[in-house]
Amino acid sequence: MMQHRQSLPFVFLLPTMAILLVLALVPTIYAIIISLQDRTLSAPDAGYIGFQNYIDLFGDRRFVNALWVSLKWEVITVSSTMIMAIGLGVLMFEAAGPRLRTSLCLIFLIPVLLPRVCAAFVWKFAFHPLYGVVTYPYRALTGQPLDLLSSPTEALFAVAFVDLWQWGFFFAVIVLKLLEALPPQPMEAARLDNARPWEIHAYISLPMLRAPLISLMFVKMIESLRSFDLIFVMTRGGPGTSTETLDMYAFSQGFIEAGKISYASSMAVVMMLVTIVVFTILWKRLKA
Amino acid sequence: MTASRIFGRAFLFLMAGVVLFPVLWTLLSAFKQNVDLLTPTPKLFFTPTLDNIAYVLGRPSVLQALINSLIICSVSVLIGIVLGLPAAYAVARYPNRWTDEIQFFVLSLRFLPPVAVAIPLMVIWLNLGLYDTKLALIVTYSLLTISITIWLAIPGFQRVPKEIEEAARVDGYGPYAVFFRVALPVALRALLGALAFSFVLIWNEFLMALMLSTSNAKTLPIVASEMSQLGMNVPWGILNAAVVLLSLPPLLLLGLLSSFMNSMFSNKPR
Repeated sequence: MMQHRQSLPFVFLLPTMAILLVLALVPTIYAIIISLQDRTLSAPDAGYIGFQNYIDLFGDRRFVNALWVSLKWEVITVSSTMIMAIGLGVLMFEAAGPRLRTSLCLIFLIPVLLPRVCAAFVWKFAFHPLYGVVTYPYRALTGQPLDLLSSPTEALFAVAFVDLWQWGFFFAVIVLKLLEALPPQPMEAARLDNARPWEIHAYISLPMLRAPLISLMFVKMIESLRSFDLIFVMTRGGPGTSTETLDMYAFSQGFIEAGKISYASSMAVVMMLVTIVVFTILWKRLKA
Repeated sequence: MTASRIFGRAFLFLMAGVVLFPVLWTLLSAFKQNVDLLTPTPKLFFTPTLDNIAYVLGRPSVLQALINSLIICSVSVLIGIVLGLPAAYAVARYPNRWTDEIQFFVLSLRFLPPVAVAIPLMVIWLNLGLYDTKLALIVTYSLLTISITIWLAIPGFQRVPKEIEEAARVDGYGPYAVFFRVALPVALRALLGALAFSFVLIWNEFLMALMLSTSNAKTLPIVASEMSQLGMNVPWGILNAAVVLLSLPPLLLLGLLSSFMNSMFSNKPR
């Protein structure tokens, strides 16, 4: 009996962890190996060229542009999602009764459940310059087509809007659940003292939710790295390279344009290193 | 007070419209002919047609992709269950000095950019002669399903009242019997939600499927996205029908996932 009790964690954890380690480490190590070669899609035999790919990367203006676009994408999507989630979550908490809350929570979950490819097509058609339903009011008023996705300045925001549509509503539901789970006494006391709703949330409830809200932001930062599906369907990185994020650029280098697998892999390795280092530091800070 | 409440409610209804309108519009467009779709003024009333749906369902590539998606999703979710649930239970109930490291390791798998995993895996599967097979995708996706199952099931097991497990132990159940016959059934509702999440995650996955399949193992998102490349003009009616078909399974799980969210956030026992 005692022996059994000792064995369970090992029996339950060891095989799973071993499999996860293999599944994660083999591709990671292989990615590094490939990145030191000059492999292409067309020629299977390849030789080692050392760090040449990495040296090339930093002379590559498209790579630097992709870094910049990715950074903009992170900042835009994370900040807009958090602002919308907190605003909408608080509004539901203040203005909606229990029954309305239940239906809103169901409705607000829909966008995040849609496959990103589907969300991208839904909005790509809605943004269509000639036939789109969203651009219709503009067309009706001005008689001009409105081509958001072909504008170098607006395309990134149009795609980021779809990301916000998918995540903002979902996170608003979570913020509402967090507010509902708070002990009601501090908020009631403030209400008795005639505090306004926004004061209650700004000074009492949201500070109490600091830790879970920061965790939420952390989750969104990780998920925002997965911008590929939306961008691939809606703009393919265009117009020009104005919406070309790192994963989109790595994909087009490796698969669409040149088939430079090794070069794409070196880009992926840089991405991997940066995200692992940044997120590990952030996570350790969060826990502390 | 009441005026601001009414204004707040109106805004909430507006937001519900922002969610529902594009979704319902897409549903409507799936039943439109091109003449009704490609109009400068969007049409609300039109003669519906089943041609788009029939075209999508009638294509052999769609049927094949549907079967692929179902097999790949269910097998990888099953692998996630078999390997992930026991691990989650061990983390939840047998904390030791490795527990934090294990949790962080499982979480950190999500930091890996999908491109960084997909490029080397493509080369590996090519070398093994398994490229473009369902097996390759299932193994690849198992990394996702195992980690997400562990991550979401830990709170589910932690919420099982310890007293129930103690009582079972007093009744002579061994630790394995406590897991299979007590903890698993008691946590079942929360676990179902976690499994639904892992199913939706794999069903919706696009980038890795795009890079790891070319014909035999294509999943439904890939085939649906290829509909935009039929012929010269984008066939929006057919595309909308494909979007509706692809979105149905995740939306069918809406109720289950919503109650899972409720249980995740409400009255946590500490």
